[in-house]
Amino acid sequence: MNDRQREYERLIAPIEDRMMGAVWRISGDPNDAEDAFQEALLTVWKRWDRIVKHPNPHALILHICVNAAHDVLRRRVRQRRWIEEDAAAADVPDSSSSAIQDMCGAEQRAQVLRAIGLLPKNQGRAILMHAVEGAGYVEIAAALACREVTVRKHVARARARLRTLLAHLMPAVHKEETSNA
Amino acid sequence: MPDKETSNDVDELIRRRMQVEVPVEVEDRLRRRLTEFRARVEQRPPNRFRMAYSLMHQPALRTVGMAAALLLAATVGLLFIPRESRASQVFAAAAAQLRSAPSLEYTIVLNAVPYVAVDFSYLAPSYRRLNCSWGIEVRTDGATGKQIVLMHATRTYLTEGGKQVESQANADAFAEQLRSLPRAADEVLGEQWTGKKKLLGYRLRKAPPNGSIPGLKELDIWIDPGTQEADHVDITVQEQGKPAHQMHIQNIRVGAAVDRALFDLTPPAGYTAIAIPGGDRRSGDPAPVLDSLALRAQIGQGAALTAVVMPMQGSYAQTRSALQAVESYLKARGVTPAGPPFGRYESEQHWEAGYAVPPGTRVEAPFQLISLPRALTASAVVNGAWAKDSNPRWAAFLKSVVEQGYLPAGPPMEIWTGDDAQPARQSTEMRIPVAKATE
Repeated sequence: MNDRQREYERLIAPIEDRMMGAVWRISGDPNDAEDAFQEALLTVWKRWDRIVKHPNPHALILHICVNAAHDVLRRRVRQRRWIEEDAAAADVPDSSSSAIQDMCGAEQRAQVLRAIGLLPKNQGRAILMHAVEGAGYVEIAAALACREVTVRKHVARARARLRTLLAHLMPAVHKEETSNA
Repeated sequence: MPDKETSNDVDELIRRRMQVEVPVEVEDRLRRRLTEFRARVEQRPPNRFRMAYSLMHQPALRTVGMAAALLLAATVGLLFIPRESRASQVFAAAAAQLRSAPSLEYTIVLNAVPYVAVDFSYLAPSYRRLNCSWGIEVRTDGATGKQIVLMHATRTYLTEGGKQVESQANADAFAEQLRSLPRAADEVLGEQWTGKKKLLGYRLRKAPPNGSIPGLKELDIWIDPGTQEADHVDITVQEQGKPAHQMHIQNIRVGAAVDRALFDLTPPAGYTAIAIPGGDRRSGDPAPVLDSLALRAQIGQGAALTAVVMPMQGSYAQTRSALQAVESYLKARGVTPAGPPFGRYESEQHWEAGYAVPPGTRVEAPFQLISLPRALTASAVVNGAWAKDSNPRWAAFLKSVVEQGYLPAGPPMEIWTGDDAQPARQSTEMRIPVAKATE
């Protein structure tokens, strides 16, 4: 095993699933996910020597994946492709209870993604890293190369904006939590 | 905390809605990308800089490397920093030098032909000295407000206690102008070569708030970028209703050692003192002969004068021989003098004697044709032998000028009329350009 193989085993292999999951969850579309993943891998390739020396390379790589997926998401929001997808989803002829639930879940996920796609770049990236990938503020700050307090500000502002944009979905969370309990 | 609860609600909503498994077909596609990526990583060539980087971890080599990098950065900076930016730095440095210099010397050239100039010296905290080419020297101590005016040509001095005189005020304006340049110029004029020296030019279009010269239109300052010192300054002045004119400040010396004796307010030996009423009499007693000479200077617009003169230097006793030379020259050329002979004395190093002639008269060296413009002039006529009581009558004449609120503004002249052979029928007109003294 040469140096490069060892580096790959150390840096990428342990987080392959997390990388794919992050890209898929944020992009939400097979083609977009592949594009975003390809973009992320290209960035990792370009920054390989820096990533090797980074104190928290896994956080940095996940951050790169989140960024790439978030860029795709923002692009899609700007291009209003959501309208077509919403229309296609509404055409699905299935009236079973689980199908309706799936459809509602898919629709709500689309709304969440759309709202995140509307956020400014740094806010969107910070909230995705924090809420979706479960990264701590310190970890995100290291990946973003900024101060922890800055990350906290981005997250707080993103939450405030999302609270407004997704106000109609907020009771649903409580309801689901209650029914699960 | 409700805020935190709401925040958690938002996070929870995002987490729940986005907690989805990667579909198998999507995972297949992404894994194919990963496999390609892994192959590329494994074939990635070693970093060309890695060896250098690992060497840099050794402290000694890191120091050397940092020094080399700094040198490279400085070189690149010098080559690629915009010229404008570097030029601005040169101006700022020169302005700062002028502001903080403990001494400042320069020559203000008011007119190149004939040469009319003022040598100015400043010594912190407030000593100033003007040495005019027409034979007047003004020394001032700004802290005490004391001032003496030395008349080189006539060997007299005036004392002026606590009063600003116009010439001093103007010179102060120049000095303050130079000592209060702004941090940035309005315009960069570019490069100028004087011999082998490169100068950078800057233009100021508006006077700085302090020490502004009345009517200042433009001030061009030329700076040696090597020493960051001002080399010379060209000033364009245009006062309302008057034509624009240029003045030049040359021989600028910033922070050089200046002889303190130049600012000594004790009248030098060989001068006759004239105390100005209300002035500081401690500097010396007025000569008693003044009271016996009842002279009153007449102030008025003097006529323009065109004359052929013999430039002279040294003893004023050469006046007669100089006049004879001019007279012979004019006679040989068939030119009839348009007025009586006169002598004009800027200093012992530079004076002249000659005759008024019609305008347009052509002359050859060593003679010169001079044209004196119409100007405010003080004059008085004294009857008697031309050479009699020269110093006391000039002292009395200047006292009368000052008493009337004027100060000398140019070299003194004597115009002689009468018969050379009959001293009792001779008369002398004393004449000097003057300017109104400011309170």
